[in-house]
Amino acid sequence: MTVSTSTSNKTQSYGVQSTGPANIVEIFKFMRLTIIWLSIIFGAVWGACWLFGVVLPACVEGFGLPAEISQTIRYFVPLVAIMVFIPINAMFMVLFERRALALFTVRKGPNRVGPDGLLQTAADAVKLLLKEDITPRGADAFMFTLAPIIFFAPSIFGCIPLLAAATGDHRLFSIANLPTGIFYVLAASSIPVVALVMAGWASNNKYSLVGGLRAAAQAISYEIPLVLSLVTICLLAGSLDVVEIAQQQVGGFLHWNILGAGKLLAVSQASPITFVTAPLLAICCILLFWLYMTGACAEINRIPFDLPEAESELVSGYNTEYSGIKFAIFFLAEFTNLFVVSAIATVMFLGGGESPIPGFLDTGFFVSVMGTLNSLLQPVPALQWLLNSLVDPATLSCVFWAVTKIYLIVFFAILIRGTLPRFRIDQLMDFSWKRLIPLVLILFLAVAYLRELV
Amino acid sequence: MKVGLDTLLFYLFAFIAIPFAYGVLLDRKIIRAGFLLIGVFSAISGLFLLLNAQFLAMAQIMIYAVGITLVVVIALMLTNPKSEDDISPLNNWNKIPGIVSAFLVFITIYMSLRAENWTVRNPGQLMQDNITRIGIDLLTYFSLPFEFASILLLVAVIGAIMLAKQEKEITQNNSDENFDKEELTSEDKNVIKV
Amino acid sequence: MFGLLARSIESLYQVTRGLKTVFQHSFRQPITKEYPDRMPDLPGAFRGRLSLTVNPNTGEHLCISCLQCERVCPDKCIQITSHKSPETNKPELIEFKIDHGLCMFCGLCTEVCPTTCIINTNDFEMADYTRESLVYDLKKLTLTQEESAFYFSKKELPLPKPKPAKPAAAAAPAAAKAEKPGQPAVKPADTAKEDKPKEGEGKE
Repeated sequence: MTVSTSTSNKTQSYGVQSTGPANIVEIFKFMRLTIIWLSIIFGAVWGACWLFGVVLPACVEGFGLPAEISQTIRYFVPLVAIMVFIPINAMFMVLFERRALALFTVRKGPNRVGPDGLLQTAADAVKLLLKEDITPRGADAFMFTLAPIIFFAPSIFGCIPLLAAATGDHRLFSIANLPTGIFYVLAASSIPVVALVMAGWASNNKYSLVGGLRAAAQAISYEIPLVLSLVTICLLAGSLDVVEIAQQQVGGFLHWNILGAGKLLAVSQASPITFVTAPLLAICCILLFWLYMTGACAEINRIPFDLPEAESELVSGYNTEYSGIKFAIFFLAEFTNLFVVSAIATVMFLGGGESPIPGFLDTGFFVSVMGTLNSLLQPVPALQWLLNSLVDPATLSCVFWAVTKIYLIVFFAILIRGTLPRFRIDQLMDFSWKRLIPLVLILFLAVAYLRELV
Repeated sequence: MKVGLDTLLFYLFAFIAIPFAYGVLLDRKIIRAGFLLIGVFSAISGLFLLLNAQFLAMAQIMIYAVGITLVVVIALMLTNPKSEDDISPLNNWNKIPGIVSAFLVFITIYMSLRAENWTVRNPGQLMQDNITRIGIDLLTYFSLPFEFASILLLVAVIGAIMLAKQEKEITQNNSDENFDKEELTSEDKNVIKV
Repeated sequence: MFGLLARSIESLYQVTRGLKTVFQHSFRQPITKEYPDRMPDLPGAFRGRLSLTVNPNTGEHLCISCLQCERVCPDKCIQITSHKSPETNKPELIEFKIDHGLCMFCGLCTEVCPTTCIINTNDFEMADYTRESLVYDLKKLTLTQEESAFYFSKKELPLPKPKPAKPAAAAAPAAAKAEKPGQPAVKPADTAKEDKPKEGEGKE
């Protein structure tokens, strides 16, 4: 009798969970956390850039020092922005990933430290920094220390040209722009593999070595589709300059490279062949985007391509022996790489900092908001000056949309992580060499012809 | 004499490259020598940057410093890790011919570099039109070497496919006639690997 | 070639379906039990800490010192001290000890108990600093009248009949002990309080 009532209670409660109301509370908390963290991050970065780009040079010139010094200070703004951005952003992304995965797996996620778990990763970071830093016996100490540095450094230097693209070529960041921008980013993003092999070898551990070798094999295989898909986009855009590529995609989502760089709008009765070629080009570009995301996931060792750090097979692979601050650097760099990869996708395929629909929350909207704020602050000239020196509406809209798109891609990557299981190593190699590389070569040729025919 | 930033950076990269290159020769751990080679290539790409050859510098890092050296390191790991300590780079018998041949190579490179009449076309324009220049030159003036290089790569790819394919044919005879490669089970694939 | 294409499209469709399913999961109520903040809603048959009940109506102790639980216990963790009452010529309880460090919560003692005196409560928070403090004596084991009533209703047990008139001297010590329960005996009452908002929330 007792048993029967308890089971009926159980089924009843489960019934409530599966068919009950939508999980609005947790989703709302997740959104709130994202908005709070993003405003902290970009407030900090914006403030640092303002200090280095506006206030400090003004002070230097105020003291009557030569203009070269203030100019030199301005050159360091991109570097300062990145140095401020990376650690806070990595902390946010870890929390973002954990909360999003919790949503997907019907859990609540970290919600104990700070208000609603906001400070969980900050606490984790403090814990990691305070842990003892161990070098295993028999390890090559120099290489062991060098590996995290080499792993982390490219993600700092690699995203500098993207900064120029994401801020809409703002005058403080246009120095970071390079004529070979995307090639520079790709070269930088290929360096971490060396660090993984180095870490695997220097750890004096079988699992680490296997992890490092797997990382090398995987990165070399998947770099080809990754690079070729981006090269195809460069072919379509006719440039390697990230700022130029981003600016070519102005004017709504139909102009984005993922939909064939506005060729869909160029369909005309005069040349009927465009009715076939333009949609074909769009399909090719969508496939290229998919190829890029696949290659990128493999390049940064994310699930389903996380063979080099498979916990269940290799006890975390190359970072088995790492602890304390070195492990923290590995961890930081992994999430920064995810961000950089998403930023490349945003700039190359999704139109950088452009609003998807012209007139929807674009530069004009931010200009009008600035206008109202200016008129409100009319009686206080000091505040008005502060506002106008601090906020540039064009850059604001650009950064807003770039960040939105980047985090949507990050969210998508987390969704993939929550869904797909890990590849087996031979399937991984087959998939790259037998499927992706032929496909990307075909797409390369197709785009080369189609862009002339449209 | 006024020393510009370029000159300083040149010496900086040279001072990175030369000790690393020396380390490649002298390091007792052969895998560490492989990693030092990456340092040499990175420093050389810095030198390319100083010469306004951005594209070349990036390609140097991407292809030499990462791709090729990594394969070399992995090949070294797979060959014979036990022989690390047996190798003594300054063995007396190997020393003299080595020094002589190194000297001869140096003389050859130096003389050929001196003999060439170097001209720089549009140095100011190079920074901006780097990629355009390279593209135009590769497909017009240097199209023959370019095609030779692509034929070499094609032959290498075909050779790799032949090497991989030969193993498959052996096991293919054992299996059924309606052998569909796409529908192999995992066990079949393992057999092929073996 | 055509088969490859068809299979790629098929697998892409499957992956997309998987992604959709996982994404839809985020709209479900989380199954996380926030345990320390909110006590779990345990069923009546849960086998937690052992306790001795009193009659919910009269407050007299239900143990008749039949020693069946002591005999049936596989771990030998129950130790009952009793003597034959000179007045009624029936066994009378003096001390009842359960070593919860030994107990494996099999619930055999509760099954043999003829008066449903010894029961498994819903309390499971028994962590302590010494092994000695896991040995519960009669005072710590006996529940109050309200707690007994709660468990009788929770486990849907028939209420015991009040014993026939008995010398007051025998019933008094047990009742006196029952009136001032030990520290852990308070917890089931908390559970009862926590259960109600939980049920209310489930219906929302």
